[in-house]
Amino acid sequence: MGKRRVTIVLSSDENDNDDERDGMHHSSSKLGSGSRSKSRSSNRSKKNKTSKDTTVSIEESGMGSLKSGELFSMQINFDMLSEDFSSCLHGYNRVPGFGWSDGKELWVDKYEPCSLPELAVHKKKVEEVKIWLEERMQTSKEVYRNQTLVITGPAGVGKSATVLVIASHLGVELCEWKTPTPTLWKEHLHSANLGIRYMSKLDEFETFIEHIRKYPVLPSASMGRSRKPIIILIDDLPVTNGRVACERLSKCLNALVRTTQVPTVILMTEYSKYDRGDSTSNSGDEILTSLEKAGAHRVAFNPLTVNSIKKTLSRICKDEKCDLNSYWIDHIAKASGGDIRHAITSLQYFCLRPELIPSSPVSSMTTTQLTGKSDKLNTFSNLSLDEDEFAANGLLPSFGRDETLTLFHALGKFLHNKRETANASGVQDPFILKERFARLPLKMDDPEKILSQAHGQARPITDFLYENVLDFISDEAIEDAWVVASYLSDVDYLLSVMHPTRSWMNSGQHDLGNIIQSVAASVAARGVLYGNSQPSPSRWHSIRSPKLWQAEQSLRYNKNELIAGRYKVHNSQSLCGVIEMATEYQPTLKCLGFRAAKAVEAQRESIQGCRAEENDSDRMSSDDASEEDEIEDC
Amino acid sequence: MLWVDKYRPKTLDKIIVHEDIASNLKKLVSEQDCPHLLFYGPTGSGKKTLIMAVLKQMFGVAVEKVKMENKTWKIDAGTRTIELEVTTLSSTFHVEMNPSDAGFQDRYIVQEIIKEMAKSRPIITKGKKGFKVLVLNEVDKLSKEAQHSLRRTMEKYSASCRLILCCNSSSRVTEAVRSRCLNVRVNAPTEEQIITALEFIGKKEGLQLPSGFAARIAAQSNRNLRRAILTFETCRVQQYPFTNNQVVPLMDWEQYVSEIASDIMKEQSPKRLFQVRGKIYELLINCIPPEIVLKKLLSELLKKLDSELKHEVCHWAAYYEHRMRLGQKAIFHIEAFVAKFMSIYKGFLIATFG
Repeated sequence: MGKRRVTIVLSSDENDNDDERDGMHHSSSKLGSGSRSKSRSSNRSKKNKTSKDTTVSIEESGMGSLKSGELFSMQINFDMLSEDFSSCLHGYNRVPGFGWSDGKELWVDKYEPCSLPELAVHKKKVEEVKIWLEERMQTSKEVYRNQTLVITGPAGVGKSATVLVIASHLGVELCEWKTPTPTLWKEHLHSANLGIRYMSKLDEFETFIEHIRKYPVLPSASMGRSRKPIIILIDDLPVTNGRVACERLSKCLNALVRTTQVPTVILMTEYSKYDRGDSTSNSGDEILTSLEKAGAHRVAFNPLTVNSIKKTLSRICKDEKCDLNSYWIDHIAKASGGDIRHAITSLQYFCLRPELIPSSPVSSMTTTQLTGKSDKLNTFSNLSLDEDEFAANGLLPSFGRDETLTLFHALGKFLHNKRETANASGVQDPFILKERFARLPLKMDDPEKILSQAHGQARPITDFLYENVLDFISDEAIEDAWVVASYLSDVDYLLSVMHPTRSWMNSGQHDLGNIIQSVAASVAARGVLYGNSQPSPSRWHSIRSPKLWQAEQSLRYNKNELIAGRYKVHNSQSLCGVIEMATEYQPTLKCLGFRAAKAVEAQRESIQGCRAEENDSDRMSSDDASEEDEIEDC
Repeated sequence: MLWVDKYRPKTLDKIIVHEDIASNLKKLVSEQDCPHLLFYGPTGSGKKTLIMAVLKQMFGVAVEKVKMENKTWKIDAGTRTIELEVTTLSSTFHVEMNPSDAGFQDRYIVQEIIKEMAKSRPIITKGKKGFKVLVLNEVDKLSKEAQHSLRRTMEKYSASCRLILCCNSSSRVTEAVRSRCLNVRVNAPTEEQIITALEFIGKKEGLQLPSGFAARIAAQSNRNLRRAILTFETCRVQQYPFTNNQVVPLMDWEQYVSEIASDIMKEQSPKRLFQVRGKIYELLINCIPPEIVLKKLLSELLKKLDSELKHEVCHWAAYYEHRMRLGQKAIFHIEAFVAKFMSIYKGFLIATFG
């Protein structure tokens, strides 16, 4: 990120205390890359003037006059993306205060991809973005109503890198919004003394958007030097807290999407649900849907595959002349969880401390043996075999990102049921099983670990597995279907122990409840894995949301209808149970052709009610469908 | 009005199916003191009819003036307030309700509402009983807590209140409740009794009822009198005059179940299993209780099955029926049974035909 050559600097009129500020940042810049943008930008602007870059600054006099003498200047620095990467790097390294020129620069920056083939992102996705941009570049602006592209994806999958590389490939100019540095309290006090009012980041963002919308002719600012087409890139939406802020942000983004004349790319990082606080939990999604409604095109990036990360890592290793065993690369790639930035940082960290690399990894076992072992299904054999793993782990610097999985990813793992093609470990199980009970080792972590990574609750996991598992069982294997069904029936029994009607479950037995929950989830996952002994060949499946939930809902509704309608239909002297109503009276009444007028009415009401309900639930399910996720083959 | 309601005997004297019980009850009630009563027996055997007749015997025609009430009760349960909507059917002398409609909150109904009702005792006038009667339906569906509360209520308010409980199976009513009641077992009527009842109705309606046809309706009713009468009425609408070989219609859900059964017999594969699941959902959504679905499905499957498999299939049906009662989501267990059946049947087919 360090040498993103395009920055927009929002700086208040603080040049007189710039020195002081710079000092502060210089001292802190050793700490890491987090807090450098402000100081860097001032340095950068100097540098930019010396080098032949174009500097555009727009004086925002209107704002200044509005806000009681506050002078708000907006400097927008454009760089040529097509400019040679390395020359920029050198220029950058020359800047004092950034002591990375001695080859200790962050590899993440150093090996930032600068050409299309170098991108680790899946080719199709790159192609999609590229085609989108190319189309916008080539044709006249009137053709496309939607000039906005939203790229979503988890952190570190190369969203920004892709856009940058494609932009440089197409030779377009990027105009980028980067979040300004947060204002420290001391700074705030200081500027408050100077009569400068605090401006929230959201305000600043709004002003920026206003600018883009009002002055779409930003490229003219480059003084006709190159007349390159321009793309606006919004990396990093401001953090919003609370509904009001969120609505403001989405409103302003909507306006942008609707009116922008220039192709705009918005990058949104997807956080897993559990990373976010509750209050903001779905603001991102809301913004995304509102953007899509406004006509933005969406491209979703998935976490990178282990293989592509491995490729990149080995390339870096070659360039850095680190002789790293492929085992470690494999390990780093796996631990990164599809986050290439993290993987590269881990690699650098790992290479910094070569003394940690054992001469030969773990008693000369080959990689396949290790993986084969770690994925062993059998818990008992795990107990003995894991010691090796522990030995290995003890030596390892911990470079694993604490991985979280989405529910769908975990379900995909269970349902696809990837196994080794042969028992490669060569290690005999302590128990000799009959052939029909034996299964090949799993190509994944322990199901329990996956469950905990996906924060899987037993009930929804079971419902989802139940709904989808039959698709994954091969057509011949009805026996397997039974095994799976019987395990799921066991799970339901286990879970019903938790139900409030069970008298012996007192509030004091929470522990028991927890154990039952995890046991049930484990039985469900393992039951599905074990039962499906010959998984049908993997192909693309979409995961359905359980029909059970829908069915239960309409059952409840129908039951209430019946209870409410039982007096109307036949005015008897006594109450009649739901069962009798459903199994005997209703069918007869239907056969009798709704003799009594009352009955007709009641029936029609209930039928219409049912229809409405069905429509509702249909709509719901179609909403659910958008939640559906591809199952990654991995 | 349906014939079932139209020809329901209103007094104990007019009852023709369980005459012995009726006469006993009459004696019991006329001796002024009436214990708590628990009626149990299969569905369609005449429990409700007996109860209404007993009430009439006790209080006279006034019990026939019933009004339905839908009342929302606010119950203070420690930390929170629970709102429950309960439907009751009441006259001056009795209140009837289905406490199990409240689901797992049924014990609040039993604790609070019944208590509330039992407290208000009717004014004793000459020749009238000094107590109210509470008729509780489907007691066997009450949770254990609710049944315990019921026991306390019975003891506490026995002076002002009599309970008449009604359920299908006494085995799911706790011993404590059973021992406090006079248990009245109402058997399912025999086919002969059903035929008599049908002939009685036929005469009243002025219909010619061939005896063979009545026998067929009775046979198909599975000794369920209500069912028989409902079917009889349906037949009357479909075709009259009756003929001996007239089709006796099945209930629509029964036809659906037999379709499912033939689906299962035709193909045994996960794909078919999935289709079957969809159809079973359809049944469950329409409030057909899962136990009945499973039972009916089993009997439909058994019809078409080779006798050497019957034992095993029944075993698994029983196994999963038990599971279903222990568990929450019936569909899981029904499907497990279907899958097991498919697996057994496929194995059998392969062994037999290669």
